[in-house]
Amino acid sequence: MKTNKTHMRRLQATLSLMVMATASGAMAEPVPVVQWDQFSNAGITAAGPAMEELIKVCEAALPDVNIERTVVPSIGIRESYRLAVSADKTPDLGYTWPAASVLAGYARTGKVAPLNSYYDKYGWDNVNAFYRGRNSYQGKLYAVPMEQDLMGVYYNKAMFAELGLEVPKTYAEFKTVVDKIKEAGKIPIAFGNRDRWPATNTLSLILGLTAGRAEEEKVFFGEEPWTNPKFKLAAETFQQWGKDGYFPKGFNGIGYDEANALFLGGRAAMNITGTWVLQDMARGAKFDLGVFMLPPISDGVPPGTMWGEGSQWQVSAAASDAAKDAAASYINCLTSKENRKTWVEKGYLVPIGTTAEDLKAWNTMPVVKDFYAEGLKTPDTNFYDLHTTVPESVTQVLYPELQKLASGDETPDSFLAAIQASWQAAIANGERWVP
Amino acid sequence: MVAVFPCHPQPWDMFMYNSRQALLFVLPALLLYVAFVAVPILQVAAYSLFSWDNGSIKAFSGLGNYQRLTSDGVFWTALGHNAIWAVLTLCFPLMIGLVLASILAERSPRTIRLMSALYFLPRTIPLVVAGIIWGWIYNPIFGLLNYVLDLIGLGSLGGAWLAESGSALLSLNAAGAWTFYGFCVLIYLSAIQSIDPSLYEAASLDGAGWGQRFRFITVPLLKSTTLFLGLYAAIEAMRFFDLVWVTTQGGPGYDTEVLTTHIYKTFFLVGDFGYAAALSVVLLAIVLTIGGLSYRILSQS
Repeated sequence: MKTNKTHMRRLQATLSLMVMATASGAMAEPVPVVQWDQFSNAGITAAGPAMEELIKVCEAALPDVNIERTVVPSIGIRESYRLAVSADKTPDLGYTWPAASVLAGYARTGKVAPLNSYYDKYGWDNVNAFYRGRNSYQGKLYAVPMEQDLMGVYYNKAMFAELGLEVPKTYAEFKTVVDKIKEAGKIPIAFGNRDRWPATNTLSLILGLTAGRAEEEKVFFGEEPWTNPKFKLAAETFQQWGKDGYFPKGFNGIGYDEANALFLGGRAAMNITGTWVLQDMARGAKFDLGVFMLPPISDGVPPGTMWGEGSQWQVSAAASDAAKDAAASYINCLTSKENRKTWVEKGYLVPIGTTAEDLKAWNTMPVVKDFYAEGLKTPDTNFYDLHTTVPESVTQVLYPELQKLASGDETPDSFLAAIQASWQAAIANGERWVP
Repeated sequence: MVAVFPCHPQPWDMFMYNSRQALLFVLPALLLYVAFVAVPILQVAAYSLFSWDNGSIKAFSGLGNYQRLTSDGVFWTALGHNAIWAVLTLCFPLMIGLVLASILAERSPRTIRLMSALYFLPRTIPLVVAGIIWGWIYNPIFGLLNYVLDLIGLGSLGGAWLAESGSALLSLNAAGAWTFYGFCVLIYLSAIQSIDPSLYEAASLDGAGWGQRFRFITVPLLKSTTLFLGLYAAIEAMRFFDLVWVTTQGGPGYDTEVLTTHIYKTFFLVGDFGYAAALSVVLLAIVLTIGGLSYRILSQS
C-alpha cells in the first residue's frame, strides 16, 4: 500500500513537472507580430537603420515578442494598408499615415483595435492631448503616434549672408527678404507641386498663420464653413505668392524632390517643408543650413507652426489577444525615453515627447536641434495639417483645386466653394473626424 | 487513351469526339480566362452595387453608384479627355505612320529593316519609362525642350508644358504619339508590301506621281488596316494610365484627368471601392462597345 502511495506521489510529481515544463515551454515561445512600416534608408522618413536596431533591442528586452517586419515605401503604404484591410489581411502592427480622419475610418469599420487599456497600462504620457485627439475616434484611442512632424523654413545661411539678409521676425520682413532674393535673381522659395500634395502643406502653414488654430477648429469640428473670410485670406495669400514669383516658374510641373534639389543646389534661398526630410536636407546641404519658423501673417494670430504625427502605430482588431499584448509591449519599448535617443541619433526622427533639452544632450545635427527648439516653443498654438486631418475624399479635391488656385486658374472663392462642397458631402457620408 | 470507333463512325459520333477533343484543348486556357478575367469582372460588377467605407462593404446600394455618375463633373471631364486623346491619336500617329510606311516601302530591304527597327524602338519602351523620359523633356527647370527652344532663339515659347492648362493634355498626347507611331508604321508597312506591285507599275506607266499613287492606290487599299489601327487606338485611348500617372497624376487641376486615373484615385486613395467599381464597369462597357464595333466593321470590310 505504502509502495503504491509512493508510486502515486512520484507519478503525480512527474506529471506536475511535465505540465510545468510544457507550460514554461509555451511561455518561452515568442509571439509573432507581423509589422508593416515605412522606414527606408533614404528619402521621406529615412529611419531604416534606427528601426533595424530597435527591433533587435526590443526583441532582446521582450523575449516573448518576435517581429516579422515588412518595409512598405511611405508613398504607397496608405494604399497597401487599405488593400490589406479590405482583404482582411491587416498586419498585426502597422506604422502608417495619416491618423485623424483616415484612422477614424478604420476605427469606424472595426478594423483597428482600441488601445485604451494599453494606454492605461503603459502610461504613454509623452502623447499629449492634441496628439491623443488626432488618434481617437468616439472617445477611444486607436493608435500610438510616434514621429513628430513640424513644418518650417529651411534657409541657406550663406546665401542670406551674401545678400545681407536677416532671419525675418515679422511677415512684412519675410516679404522684404523674398523681394531682395528675387532682385538678386535667385528663386526665393523652392517649391514643386507636380506630386500634388506639397501645396497642402504650404497652405496648411499659411492657413494656421492667417486664421489660427482656434478658427481652424471652428471649421474642422464645428459648423463654420470653409468660405469664411480668414480662410479666404489664406487662399488669397497662397495664390499671391505664386503670382508674385515666390516660387520657381512652372512650379506645378516640378516634383517635390526636384524642388528640394533646387534648394540644396543653391538655386533657391528657402524651402518651406517639414522635418520629414531633415535627413536628406542635413546630408545634402553643402552650405550652412538654417531653419526658422514663418512669422504670423494676420495681426492677432499667435506664432506657431503646423505639426502632427508623421505616422502612428496601429494594431489590427483581428490580431489575437497575445499578438495585441505583444505589439503593445513592443510599442512601449520603441517609444521609451532611452530608445527615443536611437530614433533621433540614427533615424533623424524625433519621437513625440522628445523635448528641446533632450535633443541638446543627444548626438544629432545642429539643424535638427534648431528645428525642434523653434517648433516646440509654441505647443499651445501649433496647428493642423490639412491632408492628414480632412477625409480622403476631401483631400482628393483639395489636391487638384490647390494646383488651380496656385497657378491662378481659379479664384480663392471658387477654390473654397469646391472644398466646402466636398466637405459637406464627406460630413453627410459620416467621414468627418472629430477628436 | 485511344478512342475506338466502329468501322463506319456516324457523323454524330465524330462530332462529339471532335467537340470533346476541342474542349480538352481549350480547357486550360478557358480555366485561366475564367479565373483571372471573367470572375474578377463579375466581382467588380458586384462591388459596384454596394456602398463602401474605407475599403469595407457598408450596405447594398443597388444602382446608387451609377446614379452618381451623372453629377460627377470629374467623370465627364475625364471622359472628354479620353475622347480628345482618341481623336488626336487617330489624327497624328496614324497619319505619320501611313506616310512614313509609304515612303519606306519604296526603299531597299536593308533600309526598311533598319528604319523599321528605329521607328519601333519607342514602342518597346515601357510606358512608365516613356513617362519619365518625357517628364524630363518637358521639365520647366532642366527640360530638353525649353533648352532647345532657347538655343534656336525661341526661348520665349518655352514653358511648363505639363503644368499649364493649355498645353498639358496636348504635350502628353505628343508623348503618347511617340510611343505609338512606330507600331502604325510597321502595320502599314506590312500591309503595303502585300499590295500587288503591278498596280503601282501600271500607275507609273500612266504617268502617276508618288502623291497620286499614294492617294489613289495606297490609301484605298489600306482601308481595313486603317480601320483596325483606328479602333485599336480608340480602345488604347480609353485604357491608358501609366503615362499620365507618372507625369501629371491627372493635373494640373483636372487638365489631364482620364477615366483610369479617376478610377485609381477613387479606389486606392479615397477607398470608395463601390464607386470605383461602377466607373470600371462603365469603362469596360465603353471598351467592349468599341471592340464589338471594330469586330463588326472589320468583318464587313
